[in-house]
Amino acid sequence: MSSPATRDTQPVENRDPGWKLFGKVPPREGPVKDPKKIQKEYETKSGRAGASNPTSPRQSVRKNLDFEPLSTTALILEDRPANLPAKPAEEAQKHRQQYEEMVALAKKREMKEVQKRRKQLEDRCKLEESIGTAAQIWNQEILPNWSATCTSRRVRDLWWQGIPPSVRGKVWSLAVGNDLNITHELFNICLSRAKEKWRTSLCLCPVDAGSSDRESSLELIKLDISRTFPQLCIFQQGGPYHDVLHSILGAYTCYRPDVGYVQGMSFIAAVLILNLDTADAFIAFANLLNKPCQMAFFRVDHSLMLTYFAAFEVFFEENLPKLFAHFKNNNLSPDIYLIDWIFTLYSKSLPLDLACRVWDVFCRDGEEFLFRTALGLLRLYQDVLTSMDFILMAQFLTRLPDLLPGEQLFQHIASIHMSSRNRKWAQV
Amino acid sequence: MYFVEHFSFTMQSAELEIEDSFDFLFKIILVGDSNVGKTCVVHSFKSGIFIEKQQNTIGVDFTVRTLKIDGKKIKLQVWDTAGQERFRTITQSYYRSAHGAMVAYDITRRSTFESVSQWIREVEQYGAASVLLILIGNKSDLHANRQVLFEDACTLAQNVEAAFVLMARELMARNGMTAIDEISLEAPSLTLNSSHPVRDTLAPDKNCRC
Repeated sequence: MSSPATRDTQPVENRDPGWKLFGKVPPREGPVKDPKKIQKEYETKSGRAGASNPTSPRQSVRKNLDFEPLSTTALILEDRPANLPAKPAEEAQKHRQQYEEMVALAKKREMKEVQKRRKQLEDRCKLEESIGTAAQIWNQEILPNWSATCTSRRVRDLWWQGIPPSVRGKVWSLAVGNDLNITHELFNICLSRAKEKWRTSLCLCPVDAGSSDRESSLELIKLDISRTFPQLCIFQQGGPYHDVLHSILGAYTCYRPDVGYVQGMSFIAAVLILNLDTADAFIAFANLLNKPCQMAFFRVDHSLMLTYFAAFEVFFEENLPKLFAHFKNNNLSPDIYLIDWIFTLYSKSLPLDLACRVWDVFCRDGEEFLFRTALGLLRLYQDVLTSMDFILMAQFLTRLPDLLPGEQLFQHIASIHMSSRNRKWAQV
Repeated sequence: MYFVEHFSFTMQSAELEIEDSFDFLFKIILVGDSNVGKTCVVHSFKSGIFIEKQQNTIGVDFTVRTLKIDGKKIKLQVWDTAGQERFRTITQSYYRSAHGAMVAYDITRRSTFESVSQWIREVEQYGAASVLLILIGNKSDLHANRQVLFEDACTLAQNVEAAFVLMARELMARNGMTAIDEISLEAPSLTLNSSHPVRDTLAPDKNCRC
C-alpha cells in the first residue's frame, strides 16, 4: 500500500474522541499527535528503530525486497514522505499487515502459476509421447494393412482421438479415396491449362475480368489466396505456399469448369496442402468436393442446401430441444452459422488443430459428421447461447471463441445422437 | 439520481429480448463485390482498428454497435455478406427487414464499381421499399491507383430511382477514425430518414445524394 492511498483512509481510521464523521471538526488534529512521535512508535514496533535514517524510503524498500514476488515489484510499502505527518502507529501496523497479506497472496498466486505451467509442460510432453506412439501404431500396424484394419474397433477409437499429424495426410487420402481416378498426370494437365489461361488473361485486358462469374474466378482466386489463413502468413504473396494454393485452385477450375472457384474452397485446399504434397492434395481436394453435400454447397444449389438445413434441424430438435426452441423464438435459422462451417469444413471457424481433428472423423464418417460437429458445438455452448438474443448468438456462432476446449467439444459431439425416430442421417 | 427515458423500438420482431437498452434498432446489410473491403469497413467501424489481413467472409458476419446520437441510443446491426456472385442466392434472404443497405466498391477496381448497379437492383428487388441506400467507395487512401472518380459515384447516385435515398461517400477503412466518423455521420440520417427522407448537412465535398 503506497502512501497516497493511506491519506484518504486516515480520517476514518483516526478514532480520536472529538472526531465526528461528516461533522464540522477539521480533520487534522496537529497538537494531539506529534508526527515524529508516531514515527518513533512505528519504528520500535516494526523493529527497525536502529535504522540510520528512518525517513529514507529506499532503506525500507531494500528491506522488503527479500519477500517481493516477481509480479509485485510495483507493490512496495513505503514510509510516508517526510513532509507529511506520519501515520498513527495502529494504522501503520494495519497497513503493514495488509501489505504482507497482499504479498503473500501474490506469492501464492505465482506459485500456483508455476505449478500450472509445470503441469502444462508435463501434459504437453505426455501428449507428444502419446502422439509419437500413436504415429508408430498407425505407421507400423494400421497403414500397411489398411483395408483389413481400417474398420476395426481399435482403429476407430484411435481415429476418434485424432490422427497424428505425421500420418494425417496419408490417412485422409486413404479415407477420402479416389473415386474420380485422378492421376498425377491429370493434375499436371489441368495445371498447365490453368497456367495457359492466366497468361492469356494477363495479355488481354486485366481490368475487364469481371464480366462473368466463371471468368472472374481466376481473378478471385488471386485475391482470395492471400486472404486464406492470413495469420499463418504462408499463403500470402511471397509466402512458401502461395503458389501451391494458386496451382490447386487454378487446376480445379480447369478440372471442373462447371463448378469453378467458390469462396471457401481456398480454406479447404489450404488445410490439405498443410498435410499432403501438391498433387495428392489436389486429388483429395477434387474427391472431397465431389461428395454430395460439398457439391450441393459449392454449386450453391439452394433447394438442396435447404434440405440439408431442414435435416439438420430435425436432429437439432431431437438432441437439444430447449436450445432449438430458443433459436426458433429468435428467428435464428441454421443457414446463418452453418454456411460458414460447412463451406470451409470448420477450418476457418475452429482453431486449426481442432479443425483437423474434425476433418479426421469427417473423412471417415462423411457429411453426417459435419452436422454432428455443429450440434456438438451448440451443445457445448448451450448455456451461453440460451442467454443471448438473435444478434449476439449470430455473432457468437460466426465468430467462435479462440480458446475452444477441444476435448470437451469432442465429448459433446460424442453425446450427439444422429438418429431420429430410428431414422439415420442419410434417410432424413 | 437520474432518470433515463427509455422505450424499446424494434421493427424486426416483438419477442426480441435485448438486455442492453436502445431506442432504435437498425439492421444494415453491407453488400458489394468480393475483396472491396467490406469486412475492413465494418471492423474499423466497430473497433477503430484497421486489420490488413482479413479472411474472406463466407455467408454472413455480424457486427453490433450502439451509438448515441441526439441523446438517443441507436443500435446498429451490420450484416456483412460474402461478395462472390455465387452467394447471391443465399444473401437474398438477408435483405428482408433491413433498414439500410450499404453498397461498397473499391475505387481502385473499376469492375467493382460496375457491379454497383447490379447490387442496387438486388436491394430493390429483395429489400423493403423504404430501405436507405448508401454507396461507399472504399480504399480512398490508394488514390494513386484510382479507377473510379468520385464524380462518377455521384452521377450514379443521382441516376438511381427516387424510391431510394442514395448517398455516395468514400472511405478509408485503413484509417479507422475516418470510417467511424463517416459511418456515424450516416446514423443520424438513418434515424431521421427511416420514414421520410430528410436532407441533412454533411461535408459537401465528400458526399452527394439525390
